[in-house]
Amino acid sequence: MAKPVMKKKKRVSKKSKLSWRKHVNINDVEEFLEDQRLEERLGPPLETLTDDQLFKVDVEPSKQTVSSKERKRKRFLEPPRCFAVLQPHTKVPDPIRKRNRVRTKEERKNDLIKKKEAENRAKGIWKHRELQAIRDQKVNEERKQNDPKRGEFVQNIWDADDQLTENNGWFSKNTVKHNLAGTGKIRKTVKDLKKIKSSVLPTIEMPHPGMSYNPSYDDHQDLLKTVAEKEMKIIKEEEHLNRVTRDMFSKVTAKKRDSMWLQEMSQGLQSASTNDNDNESDSEYKALNPPTKNKKKTLQQRRKQQEQMQLELLKRAAKLSKKKISDIHQLKTLNKQIDKTESKAKILRERRLKNLLLKKKEPKRLSAIKFEETELDFNMGPDITGNLRSLKKEGNLLTERFKSLQKRNVIEPSVRRRRKKSKVKVYTKPGHKEDWITTVAR
Amino acid sequence: MVAKRKKKYASGEGAHFMTRKAALKKLQLSLNDFRRLCILKGIYPREPRNRKRAQKGQAGIKTLYHVKDIQFLMHEPIIWRLRDYKIFNKKVGRARAVKDFESLKKYLNNHPTLKLDHIVKERYPTFLDALRDLDDCLTLCFLFSTFPSIAHVPRDQSALCRRLTIEFLHAVIEAKALRKVFVSIKGYYYQAEIKGETITWIVPHHFSFEPQSRAEVDFKLMSTFVEFYTVMLGFINFRLYHSLNLFYPPKFSVVSQNDDEKSIVDEEVFVSERVAALNFPVSKTSSGEEEEEVEIDTFSTEDTPEKIEEAKIEAEKIKNLKGLFKGLKFFINREVPREPLVFIIRCFGGEVSWDKLLFVGASFDENDESVTHQIVDRPSMDKQFISRYYIQPQWVFDSVNARQLLPVNKYFMGEVLPPHLSPFIDKSRDQQYIPPEEKALYDPEALEELHKKQETDDESEEEEQEDEKLEAEDSEKVDEDEEDTEDEEEEEEGESTKKKKLKVTPGEVYKEVPWEKSKQERQEYKLREKLVKNKHRKLYKSMMAGRQQRAKEIWLLRKKRRLHEEKQKEERKKKKKVEKQTT
Repeated sequence: MAKPVMKKKKRVSKKSKLSWRKHVNINDVEEFLEDQRLEERLGPPLETLTDDQLFKVDVEPSKQTVSSKERKRKRFLEPPRCFAVLQPHTKVPDPIRKRNRVRTKEERKNDLIKKKEAENRAKGIWKHRELQAIRDQKVNEERKQNDPKRGEFVQNIWDADDQLTENNGWFSKNTVKHNLAGTGKIRKTVKDLKKIKSSVLPTIEMPHPGMSYNPSYDDHQDLLKTVAEKEMKIIKEEEHLNRVTRDMFSKVTAKKRDSMWLQEMSQGLQSASTNDNDNESDSEYKALNPPTKNKKKTLQQRRKQQEQMQLELLKRAAKLSKKKISDIHQLKTLNKQIDKTESKAKILRERRLKNLLLKKKEPKRLSAIKFEETELDFNMGPDITGNLRSLKKEGNLLTERFKSLQKRNVIEPSVRRRRKKSKVKVYTKPGHKEDWITTVAR
Repeated sequence: MVAKRKKKYASGEGAHFMTRKAALKKLQLSLNDFRRLCILKGIYPREPRNRKRAQKGQAGIKTLYHVKDIQFLMHEPIIWRLRDYKIFNKKVGRARAVKDFESLKKYLNNHPTLKLDHIVKERYPTFLDALRDLDDCLTLCFLFSTFPSIAHVPRDQSALCRRLTIEFLHAVIEAKALRKVFVSIKGYYYQAEIKGETITWIVPHHFSFEPQSRAEVDFKLMSTFVEFYTVMLGFINFRLYHSLNLFYPPKFSVVSQNDDEKSIVDEEVFVSERVAALNFPVSKTSSGEEEEEVEIDTFSTEDTPEKIEEAKIEAEKIKNLKGLFKGLKFFINREVPREPLVFIIRCFGGEVSWDKLLFVGASFDENDESVTHQIVDRPSMDKQFISRYYIQPQWVFDSVNARQLLPVNKYFMGEVLPPHLSPFIDKSRDQQYIPPEEKALYDPEALEELHKKQETDDESEEEEQEDEKLEAEDSEKVDEDEEDTEDEEEEEEGESTKKKKLKVTPGEVYKEVPWEKSKQERQEYKLREKLVKNKHRKLYKSMMAGRQQRAKEIWLLRKKRRLHEEKQKEERKKKKKVEKQTT
């Protein structure tokens, strides 16, 4: 078999557009077009350009001194950089010359109507809607200006002529109603709520004289004494709590604790050896509560019971009648008893009253959190300089006010709640797993 | 027919109370809005008599409100404003998120505002009611006026507080209403009397702001209180200014702006600076006397004549106090806190100025020859004028509390000051220990006594020292003296035996035995004690026991003081001795 030197061109059908495209060589055309596009993009090839087009004589000074102000102004004149995206980035002209665009409302309007409107406006004829808008604007602005601004006080709210509406003792209800008829004021007399003072405590507690910036010796000592007493009380309480809780238990090592725990937990469990013997001995079922038996009484027993009951009743009646007689003789002791109970009740009543008065001075229980009083502010001896310039400030006024409001039951004691951050479970998607590092690429 | 079954907690205490959560649900408000509303309207949580019933059998301790209170809140038009706020916040949040700045601006320009005027009027139907509740308001406003802008507090709140409080101070100055001052380590306590109401407030020291931990104080809550109180204080200021015949946003006729000053600041700032200076009298709407002299009725029915007399004396004292510093000219050195001192001095009719560079509004110079007092707080000064006293600021405070100009010698520059005592202690306490310095403050006799005692102490110290010197010399002479005295005694005995022998004796003048009277009195007293009814006997006994105990305490403290003083005296003596020896 002889090899053919040149492959014979195979005939192919060019019937359809597809097959035509497939089998015709258009490389040269495409190359040409590509060149043309390049030329369009970058300009004509350098060989075709003249020297004048390629080079230019530099006449201007190399460095231009432009002030920052000018530069800024120049930059301001330039179109904003955000519009750069909208500019075409090639020199290729848009193949679609006439792009469709939604025309604005103004553009869509008929020329005749436009002309008419312009004429009207020139004459000073406005549309109803426009007039309304202008009017609204004016009203709104006026209202805004008339509204009293924050911190502007221009009236006496305790005006005398407003007293007619108050339910004072001077006018009868009918008089008030009659006089208020045309005034536009509310004619209904609102029952005013009985305002109960939240606490008997004063708004501002008078300071202890030892809190002066330059206190006398006695006052200062007195203050220190009260502070120390308070502190001692707290310490005592703490010690008591420790004694009652922490110190009551003996300490053991962790190992011992574990062994003890095991022992405790296995209490009552039968050991394997004893278990077997027990199971064998009582294998049969036995109820916990034995069944009841319905035992009947005989007629004789019933009669005797009846008789006993009668006798008992009689005895009781006799005893009562006897007691009535004897009670007459016991009047004195009874009186004494009554007196005793009454006096006891009186003492209790007094004590309760006293406690009530004391309790009034204490803050009420308004929320689950208990009110805690702040400590007294004080300067230690060496801190007292005795002059205003080098005075050492103590205590925080804001905290004191806040606590005072709580103490006077105006606000309930509370703690700042921190919203708990939700626990986020972090995991990698299976697709993103980098398992291949450990498995495939090993 | 069977009667309808009564449900539990449909009546009685269970029906009267409502938990906070139920209240929120009923009012359709968030917790923050509810708290704000409660503060503005003055509704407080209540404590029930029987908690279990009030909580409808629920366990634990819940915050409870009266059902009537909540119903009262339900009618408040402000609730709608609060709901508007909610909507506004949502709109603004959305606009910001989608960067719709045009509508964002529109929303922010038309933000809803809370108008609290009617609530002030509702909570305080009369002006006096408002004055009665002014303590809290003033203290909080003064406190917030020192704050910088903080989170959760409206930006202009502190400036507003500052303006209102300064205006209030002007009103107090014009009314001459200040009565007492106390400088504590916490701040300045002031007490004024306006329309017969005693108003106390605290002003913090003028130090820099110290940041506060949020765990301790709820700032948002406090700023809500301040929000209400600023409105209240504004209306009170308005009323006070008008009752004193003053223009309400304060005006000054004395000062006017120069041309160069106009170029520096605009008029509004200029005026507000003068207001803050506290140094110029506010101009009046009419020149007429607004305050007539109040005379006390002599035909009072209830009071005894002594009480009327007392009240008269008190009124006279207050009248004197109002013009305490009249005619005095003070100059305040730069190390002294300006504002409190200017306020106090101007309240009692004094003239004040300060260094021109320290603050605007200085009216005269340090070189002014007519200055009578210069307030300094430093140990010494280079240049001093002979024509004036150099005193420490405490003199002003103590003089006000004593209601008279105290002698200046104890308050001179560099002197160790006498203690600054609290004027807020009840002066009529007879069953309490009063230190001698304080006693001296209230009655001049005791003051003299104290001075005398100190002088005699000094003298006696000197004498004692001399005595000690002499003792050493005299020790030899003592023996001789003793013999002499024995001889004299023998002679006297001889004379007395002679007198007994005379028969005629002159009639004795009846002498009143001094203790007889007191003895009789005591007996009578005991008889009277017996007349105390059985009903009151126990009370009487406990009262007397209490009195005795307090007396004992006083005695104990006096003794302590005496011992302390003696100890100090000895120490001083020792020091002196040591000094002498060294010299």
